[in-house]
Amino acid sequence: MSGFQVEESPTTGDEVITNYTINFGPQHPAAHGVLRMVMELDGEIIERVDPHIGLLHRGTEKLIEHKTYLQALPYFDRLDYCSPLAMEYSYVLAIEKLLNIEVPLRAQYLRVMFAELTRICNHMLNLGSHVMDVGAMTPNLWMFEIREDCLNFFERASGARMHSAWFRPGGVHQDVPEKLLTDIGNWLDTRLPELFGDAMSLVVDNRIFKQRNVDIAVVSKDDAIRWGFSGPMIRGAGIPWDIRKSQPYDVYDRMDFEVPVGTNSDCYDRFMVRVEEVYQSARIMKQCIAEMPGGPVASENRKVVPPKRGEMKQSMEALIHHFKLYTEGFHVPAGEVYVATESPKGEFGVYLVSDGTNKPYRCKIRPTAFSHLQAMDMMCKGHMLSDATAILGALDAVFGECDR
Amino acid sequence: MTVLHSAPKIASNEGVLDKLVAALGDMLVESTEAHGEIVLCVARDRIEDALRCLRDEHEYQQLMEIAGVDYPQRAERFEVVYMLLSLTKNHRIMVKVSAAQDTPVPTVTTLWPVAGWLEREVFDLYGVIFAGNPDLRRILTDYGFEGHPFRKDFPLTGHVELRYSEEDKRVVYEPVKLAQDFRSFDFMSPWEGAQYVLPGDEKSAGETDREDGK
Repeated sequence: MSGFQVEESPTTGDEVITNYTINFGPQHPAAHGVLRMVMELDGEIIERVDPHIGLLHRGTEKLIEHKTYLQALPYFDRLDYCSPLAMEYSYVLAIEKLLNIEVPLRAQYLRVMFAELTRICNHMLNLGSHVMDVGAMTPNLWMFEIREDCLNFFERASGARMHSAWFRPGGVHQDVPEKLLTDIGNWLDTRLPELFGDAMSLVVDNRIFKQRNVDIAVVSKDDAIRWGFSGPMIRGAGIPWDIRKSQPYDVYDRMDFEVPVGTNSDCYDRFMVRVEEVYQSARIMKQCIAEMPGGPVASENRKVVPPKRGEMKQSMEALIHHFKLYTEGFHVPAGEVYVATESPKGEFGVYLVSDGTNKPYRCKIRPTAFSHLQAMDMMCKGHMLSDATAILGALDAVFGECDR
Repeated sequence: MTVLHSAPKIASNEGVLDKLVAALGDMLVESTEAHGEIVLCVARDRIEDALRCLRDEHEYQQLMEIAGVDYPQRAERFEVVYMLLSLTKNHRIMVKVSAAQDTPVPTVTTLWPVAGWLEREVFDLYGVIFAGNPDLRRILTDYGFEGHPFRKDFPLTGHVELRYSEEDKRVVYEPVKLAQDFRSFDFMSPWEGAQYVLPGDEKSAGETDREDGK
């Protein structure tokens, strides 16, 4: 605590306490990572918040400029490390848009399905930590059970629990075993609804949870638009905007799902939008499993997608392609695109500038938390200090992505 | 060109470019449509008017992102790219201005409060100055950082590194010392696209020059 001042009142001569300034973070359990917020308080009422971000800045965008397109892909897992596949999604779509290559149908289904699994995985962490921020412990432990299941599925598909690097330009890296699809199907029918239903039954109608979240940080529709909100934040404000629905990519246009919206635009609505999104994601995944066709999982264009090991043992040409793609990489036609997808946290965009070489000239990443955190001052003003943790929890900020 | 990729499908671009070109009039410098993206280059000092026109009259309600790009070989080396989204028309466009180090870009915080941090980021990483931004501090780099790290002439390894000094009981900054230099491999094929002279080729080039001279 700093800047604590005692002054003398000019009229009565009594000592009065003026505003003081505190540091919320960067080492605070509710700051969700390395966020430092300089708060000016009047008693317990927040007068002003100045978030200081960048403590996790790693210069990802600069590093990407020095890597080939494929080498740059794993950096995206490390942006929002709670939803790694959703980060890769925008990047591979941006490359595919510049290359204008077709992705086989099975790969599109697999990508949609695992993007939705990522959404469930991400929301488990966010919902769990949100309820923990406002004082409840148990639901978080149950939701981590689900998260653990999700990570096991990622491991079975890609070999890595978190940093999968499984989406590739032109498709996905490798096919999934049939058993994995049946296991995910069973899990969606049994464990997910049971565990999640149990956890939510403790929270959604809980009196304390509602007291801490209802009518906290109400944001009008106009404000949500002006502050660049997206994802559950803009849907919580009552605007039915979902990029999966309005600007469908891959096979989202074949999926039947609802877009939940809030009515009061407070922290409780943002929470409940995410809760409903988990059920909708499960619905999309079931459709994917039911409809998924067979066939290749990556484009057959050998100038972009490397051949499999077996083919290389037989074919000289395949060997050459493999060598060229893992040394020089593929060249992307000159041009610039901005591709945004609906990540679990909101609009995650990639602005890719190519100069025709094998490395991106510029890769600007549009994080979701950046604009949302900027609105912290607007949302916190006039609320109590303890509400800041609820607001931050409902914001779903992850600093790997925000700071890049 | 037929669309083969499966990137997000926005509303059709058909006719949009002509309409926007007509609406922006003399504010516009150049307009292109490539890879399914509409890009409008606008005069730097008119950017605020142009974006206001697009927001109020053409329903591009949201400013999603401001990106900086550095082209060191150009006279005005920086480009500032504004990504606009129309929630009602379900459409996206990009608006660009060019700027040099000493030519401030008018702020658009007057139109969208979200521009505040986005402009701070471009200022921090590229050193583009936004005239009128009320809070143009650094945002992503360290407190007391010098330079603008995303410029193409800024080394990837940076200039200083920090460590905790046991003697001083604090974090100290020192010049970067690398056990091995950063290796930037040249994967460009000499048969296609290499822009440089291959080792040994400079001799033959000299001979041809002499022959031409005679």
